[in-house]
Amino acid sequence: MKKREKMLSLFLACTVPASMLLSGCGASKSDSGKIEIEMVQYKQEAVDVFRQLEEEFNRTHDDIHLTIDSPNDATTIMKTRFIREDYPDLLGIGGDINYSYFIDSGILADVSDYQGLAGINPGYVDILEGLEFVPTPGIYGVPYVANAAGILYNREMFRQHGWQIPTTWEELMTLCDSIKSEGVLPFYFGFKDTWTCLAPWNSLAVDLAPADVCQQVNAGKTVFADEYREVAEKIQKLVEYGEDGPFAYGYNDACTAFANGESAMFAIGSYAVPQIKSVNPDMDIDSFVTPGSSDPNGNTLNSGVDLQFCVTSACMDSGKKEAAYEVLDFLLADENVQMYLDDQNAVPCKSGDFTLAPNLDGMKQYIEEGKMADYQDHYYPSEMAVDAQIQTFLIEKDLDAFLAKFDTDWQRYNRDIIQMVADYNKQNGVQ
Amino acid sequence: MNGKVKERYNMPVTILLICGLATIIFPLYMTIVIAFKQPSEMTNSIAGILSLPKTWSFSNFAEAMRVTDFWNSLRNSLLITGVTVVLSVVLHSMVGYAIGRNKAKSKWYNLAYLYIVSGMFVPFAILMMPLVKQTAQWGIANIVGVIICYVVFYMPMNLMLYAGYLVNIPVALEEAARVDGASTWTTYWKIIFPIMKPMHATVAVITALSVWNDVMTPLVIMSGSGMNTLPLAQMSFQTQFGTNYNLAFASYLLALLPLLIFYIVCQKQILNGVVNGAVK
Amino acid sequence: MKHANDRKRTFMLMTIPVVALFFAFNTLPLIKGVIYSFTNFRGYGSYDWVGLRNYIDLFQDGRVGKSYLFTLKMAVAATIVTNVISLILALGLNSKIRFKSTLRGMYFVPNILGALVVGYIFNYFFTYIIPAIFHTTSILASSTWAWVGIVIVCAWQAIAMNTIIYISGLSTVPEDVYEAGSIDGATGWEKFRSLTFPLIIPFFSINMVLSGKNFLMVFDQIMALTKGGPAQSTESISFLIYNNGMAGGQFGFQSANAVLFFVIIVAFSVAQLQFTSSKEEQL
Repeated sequence: MKKREKMLSLFLACTVPASMLLSGCGASKSDSGKIEIEMVQYKQEAVDVFRQLEEEFNRTHDDIHLTIDSPNDATTIMKTRFIREDYPDLLGIGGDINYSYFIDSGILADVSDYQGLAGINPGYVDILEGLEFVPTPGIYGVPYVANAAGILYNREMFRQHGWQIPTTWEELMTLCDSIKSEGVLPFYFGFKDTWTCLAPWNSLAVDLAPADVCQQVNAGKTVFADEYREVAEKIQKLVEYGEDGPFAYGYNDACTAFANGESAMFAIGSYAVPQIKSVNPDMDIDSFVTPGSSDPNGNTLNSGVDLQFCVTSACMDSGKKEAAYEVLDFLLADENVQMYLDDQNAVPCKSGDFTLAPNLDGMKQYIEEGKMADYQDHYYPSEMAVDAQIQTFLIEKDLDAFLAKFDTDWQRYNRDIIQMVADYNKQNGVQ
Repeated sequence: MNGKVKERYNMPVTILLICGLATIIFPLYMTIVIAFKQPSEMTNSIAGILSLPKTWSFSNFAEAMRVTDFWNSLRNSLLITGVTVVLSVVLHSMVGYAIGRNKAKSKWYNLAYLYIVSGMFVPFAILMMPLVKQTAQWGIANIVGVIICYVVFYMPMNLMLYAGYLVNIPVALEEAARVDGASTWTTYWKIIFPIMKPMHATVAVITALSVWNDVMTPLVIMSGSGMNTLPLAQMSFQTQFGTNYNLAFASYLLALLPLLIFYIVCQKQILNGVVNGAVK
Repeated sequence: MKHANDRKRTFMLMTIPVVALFFAFNTLPLIKGVIYSFTNFRGYGSYDWVGLRNYIDLFQDGRVGKSYLFTLKMAVAATIVTNVISLILALGLNSKIRFKSTLRGMYFVPNILGALVVGYIFNYFFTYIIPAIFHTTSILASSTWAWVGIVIVCAWQAIAMNTIIYISGLSTVPEDVYEAGSIDGATGWEKFRSLTFPLIIPFFSINMVLSGKNFLMVFDQIMALTKGGPAQSTESISFLIYNNGMAGGQFGFQSANAVLFFVIIVAFSVAQLQFTSSKEEQL
């Protein structure tokens, strides 16, 4: 008995100081007189590209040392670091509601004096501008790459059957009917994961509802019941051409099914291509813009900023602005952008002559013309769970209840923002 | 001889229990098969899920070890789990003894018992933000902070387990020692602590399992310290738009081995309870 | 007299530091959390005081109400299923069987697997295997039955740990109790009810509280199986608190939800603990 007791205290005596020692080591950092720039970026899947970029940057720069961190669950990590007031210098985040929150909290700095912004497609700068709750002077992010959502299709299968890319809603319906008549399933949805419900929803909404519908509602000018009725009707129609019981299968199941040729089309974004190709590496995938409108010219590409770089106020305050901009210059160099595009099937936000992934062929024209609008869910507060509400609607098929709930929930979850907008408008005399 | 053996073992129960194992083995079989397959072998059908992999290659395991930086993550996980378990067994059994022996008689100890046990029902989400801030302010936003948090989080449950176990340990045992002139402190370590061995094993197993599989605490407390635990590292198999189940499952199986060894060791201790029970 | 004082002092020395530690890392952050429940705090950045608005909203929010009902229904069902099966299993594993330690080891495996892995496995099971065998649709796709799927998965995993606790309880039951029972001619159910069960009541109450607690706070299994769907029918309280409070921007409101949840459960479990401990004393 004595022996065990001794062993125990021995073990304790060893482990506790060891753990203290270990944690002590982690905190200290090498200090070599270089300016340290730390970037945290949220695209975990792009970790390999960023590792290469980091090495390349440090090899070519003597005065600045760059560290790029691509943690898992980066958004939670960023938020917890903000609580500790431990700010990285650069952030790589998406153009979504978190970006709006970060601006509102004063975490991000104005980068409108950054030269590199001139080379960015102004459409994407506008998209970011639109994400601010109230117009805030300045620009808070440098758009890097975008993604595009619409309908992916199996090019091989389309060629075999002679099917054509539809340009209007009616053509899409005819196409679905003829696909079905040949014994092929038109769509695979995978609506068990609620977020996949948002993909067709978003790409229909950019065609059928005004791009600034959320701001209009916040300003009290319209209601969703009017703007989203057609969107809801059409997504319901689409589901009829999908797999039996779409609520049993998730995103991964849908990717696998589409990759194995179980369906001709898959209403999702370009971001799904790597997952599909992991199942079937040789598949020939292309995509087209969801034709929600009956007017071939009335359709819009659903594209949003997938990755943008922001400089934190803390970085600016510590006088590292020049170094941060130098890092941005490096990341935005044409060859580095191209490297990222090749790896991630992304759409560049920088204007220029880039090679796009073949799965974006059908959308190229829209990208070049800049005929695009942001994902509307980027304005939806995540706690409102619009994705789950759409799923509920598609299961219960009660259109009026869905739209009514959308409007009442919107008012409740956006109460503070609506108030903020009203105050701002009152102060600035905007009508 | 033969007849004697048959009398000893309850064969119908044994057979029933072996049949019941199917509910365990079947999901385990699926885990193993998926861990060995390639993503291209995963089809959406029964055959695709249940069939054996085309080749039994360990490439998934090698890749999973590379992605998770296995040995470093394993070391961190082992360190956190090991220290937490030891501290839990020592501290929680001690407080369990003090409170368990007194809560029936003393209002204060009963209050302390209810106070700590009720902590079991505080959702971690509400503590998370304040804890992140607090550990950073106190300079323990690292592995030490994580361990302290665990020791506190599992205290309610372990206290309940120890206090419950004490009910079946007669006070007479201590009184005998006291007559011999031993202090309460010595009595505890010499007599009660060893007697609670089956409960130590149970507590160690429960605590180790929860700590080993936990993601949230290290994620929020240690983020930015550059240290990964195994579950943290495993998150990289699931990104926003894609999950590699094959690599993930291979990695889960790897993470399972240390626990299995730990459990086999502890199981003997739990079995020893029979001997201690006879002491009564 | 000297002994009595020594005993008292030792007990206090054992208790006070640990209680202080508990206060610092549980109660202190909880108090801060309660304070946040009166704000519109997002988790970081600036915030405003909103008074009781969050609490008033709680009682008007249909989604919160639904999550309480779902969680309660699921927890009660899973607690019953888990405890009945694990008690039977523990009795079996504690009897004179062959391959005792191998069987005990095997039945413990579900607990070693993390909740997420188990969730993924059962996902395949419910989506592909069950429908193919019984020619039905997946129960996870039905807003009426998805909760049963979650009960099955939670129980499957929790049974292992409860069995262990029952086994360690059964091991404190001295052999001679049975022998005495056998002489009296007690058999089977009779023996269990009148001899074994009263002796393991402390373990029974521990298991009830433990499994009840785990199921009331169910989160991982939901994330892995249904993510709250279909049609928001499986959103548990912890799911809402975490998803909307931490990942979303509703930290203040969900803190209020957590406070309410905490108060309800504490009231409930204090009552239960008092009840079972009064029973223990009677024995």
